[in-house]
Amino acid sequence: MSDAAGSLIQAGKDDARKAQRARFWRRVRRQPVGIVALAVLVLLAAAVWLGPLAYRTAPNRTDARNILKAPTAAHPLGTDELGRDVLARVLAGGRVSLSVGLLAMVVGLAIGTLAGGLAGYFRGRVEVVVMRLVDVFMAIPNFFLILVVVTAFGNHPVTVIVTVGIGFWAQMARVVHAEFVKVRGFEFVEAARALGATHPRTMLRHVMPQVVPQAIVLASLGVGWAILTEAGLSYLGLGIQPPLASWGNMLQNAQSYLWLKPELAIYPGLFIAATVLAFNVLGNALRDVFDPRG
Amino acid sequence: MTAFIVRRVLMGVVVLWLVSVVTFFLIHLAPGGPSAAISFDSTAEQREALLKQFGLYDPPLVRYGKWIVGTVRGDLGVSYNQGLPVGQLLMQRLPNTLTLGLAALVAATLLGLLLGTLAAVYRNGWVDHVVSTISTLGMSIPGFWLGIVAIILFAVQLRWLPASGIVSSSGAGSLVDRLRHLVLPAGVLAFTLMPNVVRVTRSALLEVNRADYVRTAKGKGLAPGTVLFKHAFKNALVPVLAVLGLVTTALFSGSVVIESVFGWPGLGRLAIEAANGRDYPVILGATLLAGLIVVVVNLLVDLLYAAVDPRIRHE
Repeated sequence: MSDAAGSLIQAGKDDARKAQRARFWRRVRRQPVGIVALAVLVLLAAAVWLGPLAYRTAPNRTDARNILKAPTAAHPLGTDELGRDVLARVLAGGRVSLSVGLLAMVVGLAIGTLAGGLAGYFRGRVEVVVMRLVDVFMAIPNFFLILVVVTAFGNHPVTVIVTVGIGFWAQMARVVHAEFVKVRGFEFVEAARALGATHPRTMLRHVMPQVVPQAIVLASLGVGWAILTEAGLSYLGLGIQPPLASWGNMLQNAQSYLWLKPELAIYPGLFIAATVLAFNVLGNALRDVFDPRG
Repeated sequence: MTAFIVRRVLMGVVVLWLVSVVTFFLIHLAPGGPSAAISFDSTAEQREALLKQFGLYDPPLVRYGKWIVGTVRGDLGVSYNQGLPVGQLLMQRLPNTLTLGLAALVAATLLGLLLGTLAAVYRNGWVDHVVSTISTLGMSIPGFWLGIVAIILFAVQLRWLPASGIVSSSGAGSLVDRLRHLVLPAGVLAFTLMPNVVRVTRSALLEVNRADYVRTAKGKGLAPGTVLFKHAFKNALVPVLAVLGLVTTALFSGSVVIESVFGWPGLGRLAIEAANGRDYPVILGATLLAGLIVVVVNLLVDLLYAAVDPRIRHE
């Protein structure tokens, strides 16, 4: 091949890529609500991770003389039943809840993608075994499964992350499996195999990129689900343990003070709802961006 | 049809057996395992006696064998903390969970069908957007927090409804009193389950609307309402039926937390108490019972599905 022809092909490729990118951004611009959701998430992340640099009140310092106080200049959201600053705890709790949510999503998605991918790619006996296991995990209501694991392995934050991730790997595996089965049948995959690509290479370089958009959508919805689950678990006293704050465990004691100070129960829940809502809206917007027909 | 039923029942049994294997070994192979649960507050001799009494000196496989044989016969062992048979504890709580779950399921299905139909009829209009907002909220708001907010609003501020429990001590358990206690937990649970039904109803109706027979019905000049209810709706109900299996699973997960918020003495609350007290036989029993109900409901859904749509039988 001459250099001229080579550069012509390269130019054609560049053009195609540019056009594709332009189409992608056009579709992104048609999702203003999704963009707002992303902005909300960025703001939230900045608030909980960078906020403490500006707002230096310690989240775990108790103050017996200032219990259940109304908002003041020193405590913009008041204090809780141990005199701890509610704003500082909301920020600290957000750090924990967001981290647990994100990491649990990574765990669930990793297991789900691996299992679903292998089952969908190799079919046959692997598929039978993996998909039956998926059926089993789908038959156990998530929360019961999580209770079993937490009871057995305790509630160290790492355990909580893995447990919540295990709670939804089966759903992930089911979707990834279906995608792999579909993509596997395409001609370009067959061509790659015919050209001598190994199984791992075919899976990673040819099939996987087609599955990524679906996986991103699932990941976004998954973080929302993981945050909700961790919150529920911590609210019940089985997740993240005090004094480490999480949005869920802040609600645990708040219920005892509903008659005295209902606001205590409001703030953490508002943050959970806003965060999960943003992840869900983002997930739906991403789905529309990647699959405009749907 | 018989072969189909037999195959499905056998599959259900296999899944349930695997559920028992997974949950049992998760617990019994954990570091320390059940024996760790009875270590506190007991002397060495007491500990020894307890370990022997609960059969924890046997190797795990033997333990599993004994447990599963007992379970099949209806003997789920004895609660570590309460000293009562696990089966008895589960049966005390099951009716309460079924009441709450059934009420929530019916409410979620009716509400979901209504909203989903509205969204499909007024597709892309403001009604559709409102419905989609409501259902995204239902997916995003933590059920337990919604429960707390409902308690603040309806029990603390307005004093319309009781904050917790299943009957009031003074109400002597009249039907009205029981219903008043049911409203908040069932309503909150229904709100978190409803989005599933809304989404499926909407997309099923839109799908059916594209079908030839609906176009024909419209083409021969039938009123839109007649087309919707006589032609479209009946067929759209099939996928909605299918999602009820999924909703039942979610129902059990949701009820665990909701029962705790409202002090509802159900299966979920029992599981939480067992988890907090490391009462392994109880948590195993509760999980297996929840799994059993999920499997049975999914089996019924499958059978109904096959009865409605004959193509399924010959997969």
